[in-house]
Amino acid sequence: MLDIRNISFTYEESMPLVFERLDLTVAEGEFILVKGPSGSGKSTLLRLICRLNQLTGGTIFFQGSDITSFAPAMLRSSISYVAQIPQMIDSSVEENLLLPFSFAINAEKSPPGKDELREMLKNFYLGDVTLDHSAMKLSTGQKQRLAIMRALLQKPRLLLLDEPTSALDQESASMVFSIMERLSVEQRKTLITVTHSNYKPETVRPLTYTVANRSLQRCS
Amino acid sequence: MNQIINISTPQLLLALLFILVAQASSFIFHLGLNRDITIGTLRTFSQLFLMGYVLTFILKTSSPWLTLGVFMVMVVSAMFIIKGRVKEKQIAYIIPTFLTMFISYLATALFVSGLVIGITPWWEPRYFIPAGGMVIGNSMSALAISLERLFRDMRQQKEVIEMKLSLGANYREASNDIFRNAVTAGMIPSINAMMGVGLVFIPGMMSGQILAGTDPLIAIRYQIVVMLMLVGSTAVSSVVVMLIVRRRCFGSGEEVLLSPR
Repeated sequence: MLDIRNISFTYEESMPLVFERLDLTVAEGEFILVKGPSGSGKSTLLRLICRLNQLTGGTIFFQGSDITSFAPAMLRSSISYVAQIPQMIDSSVEENLLLPFSFAINAEKSPPGKDELREMLKNFYLGDVTLDHSAMKLSTGQKQRLAIMRALLQKPRLLLLDEPTSALDQESASMVFSIMERLSVEQRKTLITVTHSNYKPETVRPLTYTVANRSLQRCS
Repeated sequence: MNQIINISTPQLLLALLFILVAQASSFIFHLGLNRDITIGTLRTFSQLFLMGYVLTFILKTSSPWLTLGVFMVMVVSAMFIIKGRVKEKQIAYIIPTFLTMFISYLATALFVSGLVIGITPWWEPRYFIPAGGMVIGNSMSALAISLERLFRDMRQQKEVIEMKLSLGANYREASNDIFRNAVTAGMIPSINAMMGVGLVFIPGMMSGQILAGTDPLIAIRYQIVVMLMLVGSTAVSSVVVMLIVRRRCFGSGEEVLLSPR
């Protein structure tokens, strides 16, 4: 599904390379966990996959095609990225969840109804949150779960989660980990998650990599 | 009534009393404006005297190329003033802004002097240069406000823009609010001026015409044309510049290029 070949990246020409000759292959349904210390470039890797940053060299293929051959909006509706700090628009939970459907690229996708949204909220440990609740008033943990749920609503082929638990307390982090594992086991979602925490999955065995020497190393 | 009273040099210098009052206020209340007031006064005298001599020369020679040359100098000067106000290093906004300003102001000045007022020839400097000057001066402030707002909001709301991009928005959808706010911020002063004109203030051009002995009923017609011209030219130049510059804030993958300061 995703083939990262020999990529390099630097923020500016005068700065040292963040990645050099990095390769990674991700098959459909795989759960990839990328670990590494803060500042090692884990988040940048995800941003490169969905083109929020541009490669300095090398190529990323998504479903056999170079990612630069897709219209950016098309690519990002198939590869959904959820940022470390969840962002909401200043509106209700429902408006936030339906936000992807207001964009031209998703015009032909039918938005979920209220009952479906309520059911999903329960599955994301947000059963006590009503659809007309202000999204800005949710806790960071609730926003993070809502952000993952929103990203999934447009049915992406690949979900990129950038440090999804770094700003959360233990309880909220456990909920997010549980959601990730369920997505992998029950829905066979293809996931790439970066984290610097000592997360040890309980129900899945992800392929784990660490960022080292400007590249990725497979952990045993 | 039609007699224009000349202001002699001693009378002109007497007006410097106003500056002395401003300097004294700054000195007494430690406003720190003495240097700026002095430079501003010197520039007012030198720039306007220079403009007076240039206009006298242009009106005498009556050359279309000279008129367009002066117009070009005015647009370039406005661009430098905008560049001084908008401290943006990452995005190359100067050339598209300059070209949009030049084309839209030229079109506006031509439309007003050639069609609305109906002067022949269209470049008659007595009308063309003041009309151009008003358009440039007004839109320059609007563009500076809009550009500042656009760059500031794009930086401050980068995470929200990226969230929308990540959910499948194209760059226009992801930055529509910011674009609208930037254009609106630039246009509000021109619209407010239309609300207050004749009630709160008498515009400079109309005052000048009345002082020079023009019938107030003719002066107001000119002023109405000017007010409408300013709103129209500001809207067109702001929208076009913001559309071009907004695109330049995004890269080839529609990623946000602005990094936090």
